[in-house]
Amino acid sequence: MTAPTEKPAPNRREFLALSGATAGAASLGMAAWGQNFVEVDVDAITNTDFATDVLVIGGGMAGLFAAVKAHDAGASTMIVSKGRLGSSGLTPFGKGFFVFDTDVETDTIDDFVDTVSRSALGTSNPAYTRQMAEHSMARAADLREWGYFDQTLSNRPFMKPIEDRDIPLLERVHVTHLIKEDGKIAGAAGFRNDAEETVTIRAKSVILCTGAGGFKPNGFPLGDLTHDGTIMAYEIGAKVTGKEWNDGHMTRSDNPAACYDGWGDMFERVPSTNGVEVHHDLGVDLNYTAYMTGNPVAGGPGAQPSDGDTIEVEGGPQTPEEFQRDFGAPGGDGEGGGPSSGEGGAPGAPPPGFEPSANVGGASAGMAIHKSEGLVPFDDRCASNIAGLYAAGDALGSHMSGGIYTQVGSSLTGSAVQGAIAGEAAAEYAETADTPVIQDVRISEIVDEILAPLRLDAGYGPAWVTQTLQGIMIPNFVLYIKKASMMTAALAYVEELRDHHVPMLRAANMHELRLAHETRNMILSAEMKMRASLMRTESRGSHYRLDYPDMDDVNWRAWINIYQGTDGSMQLEKQPFDTWPT
Amino acid sequence: MTIKSINGCIGCQECVKSCPCDVIRMEHGKAVIAYPADCQICHLCRMYCPVDAIEMSPEKSIPVIVPWG
Repeated sequence: MTAPTEKPAPNRREFLALSGATAGAASLGMAAWGQNFVEVDVDAITNTDFATDVLVIGGGMAGLFAAVKAHDAGASTMIVSKGRLGSSGLTPFGKGFFVFDTDVETDTIDDFVDTVSRSALGTSNPAYTRQMAEHSMARAADLREWGYFDQTLSNRPFMKPIEDRDIPLLERVHVTHLIKEDGKIAGAAGFRNDAEETVTIRAKSVILCTGAGGFKPNGFPLGDLTHDGTIMAYEIGAKVTGKEWNDGHMTRSDNPAACYDGWGDMFERVPSTNGVEVHHDLGVDLNYTAYMTGNPVAGGPGAQPSDGDTIEVEGGPQTPEEFQRDFGAPGGDGEGGGPSSGEGGAPGAPPPGFEPSANVGGASAGMAIHKSEGLVPFDDRCASNIAGLYAAGDALGSHMSGGIYTQVGSSLTGSAVQGAIAGEAAAEYAETADTPVIQDVRISEIVDEILAPLRLDAGYGPAWVTQTLQGIMIPNFVLYIKKASMMTAALAYVEELRDHHVPMLRAANMHELRLAHETRNMILSAEMKMRASLMRTESRGSHYRLDYPDMDDVNWRAWINIYQGTDGSMQLEKQPFDTWPT
Repeated sequence: MTIKSINGCIGCQECVKSCPCDVIRMEHGKAVIAYPADCQICHLCRMYCPVDAIEMSPEKSIPVIVPWG
């Protein structure tokens, strides 16, 4: 049995800072404001500088393919990951890999793209849907060669192509900043979890494979995903989309935070491929039932065990008739209704976390839809509006799936396909790009920003600020069953956190420094979610407005893009479906 | 307690590296549960441990916020 380590005694400077102050509260993990018992000598923190042609940020499925294909296209390539390759983000937990096998499927890829578009109610980008299907077999073949489909854990098969190519890999490095010089991407900066060291990486091109994120919700393995890439890119002028969509996964009422238990044994399965299976599973329809009837969702907290019946209510989020399914009684032992294969389970069965039994909503609170939030793509090769900056996978708002998750298993496939395409595009860009020049004064400003939470003598604990944000955003009547009055109120709270608490987020060590930066990113993402949800005055797919319950095809056949205005404020604009931004 | 205990650690660091949330750290050559409040109960540490040293619990160590209750 091991126990958390004791905090070391404050050093002399900290004792001086404490004199005359109340020290008791600071020893509590969830303390709000308090003295900052800094455990590291901030002035002794060193910086290590790297240089590469293409920098891939993120160690999941998209990052793997981005690095491999950028390297194979001739670019010197480096990967940096907040965690470990194949063991961070959502990649370790997805087990279904969609392939469009023309020898097996009876419909054409055109039919498939149309079906996804109908389920997505027009919100999907057909160029990215088609690309995912067209390249799916080739990416599955790569993975098969590396041993991905032979075992449960992704690290070893992911390491194979990286080691074969000698691609430099920095793990457990949290990137906090993208660097832009003369309007072009120039690199990135962050810090190590395990050493008192900041890291700067000069790069001609950067590919964000940083996943999406949430509000560190309970019941979904999103704890390390806090929209880091999206926020870094937004702050250097990138456009962001898809924030109004809501993933609908639910969790169990008993121990809702236990994601492993909520997903049956899925996390320990060997990945497998699956064919076409396009759904329209909302999740938010159960949030609506709970909202309208006082939580009688079968199996919800305090309810009797489900007999498979669901309560019918008038109105609420609607599934197109073509895609309506009756999940019926949960399969198997009822413990999470464990599916039999892949991400989507047995054909016709609900995906895990969508069963109308033993559930409470919001497992993935703060996450939109796979591939449908993140950087706005400016072409079909994963380019952003910043020269040299690309994104792939859940960090790219490609709307490959649309504003609702449609094709089962397409999340992993889309990450693999987009990673490969972005890797090749970035390598091509880097071939003719000049080596970036970053002034020392800029590096030093960024390092100061990175380390600021460690320099505070007192401040707000990032864990407390995160819990406060969860309390504002996660309630059903704010994030899921949306209406203007509540969203306006929530936005006021979020703005308070942004303006007053973010500058005073404290950190005593490198772990808390990570939490401080993550908390800041979640707060900005919450602001984006509320502003986009307020702007979309209709209901469509996973976005449901109680005050605008119908779909509005006259005004809202459009995505919402978010960018930073010249005065630093958040700006929103429409981009019509089926168009590229200009 | 989320990740509940580590018994029989051989110091390979697999759990430290595989934890997405930086919950586990090394101390005197052994893995220790340093930041239990940040555990997301995903079991990756247990699955990566080569000697089955890690025991899990489904209970979160801090209050859990859900959309309705």
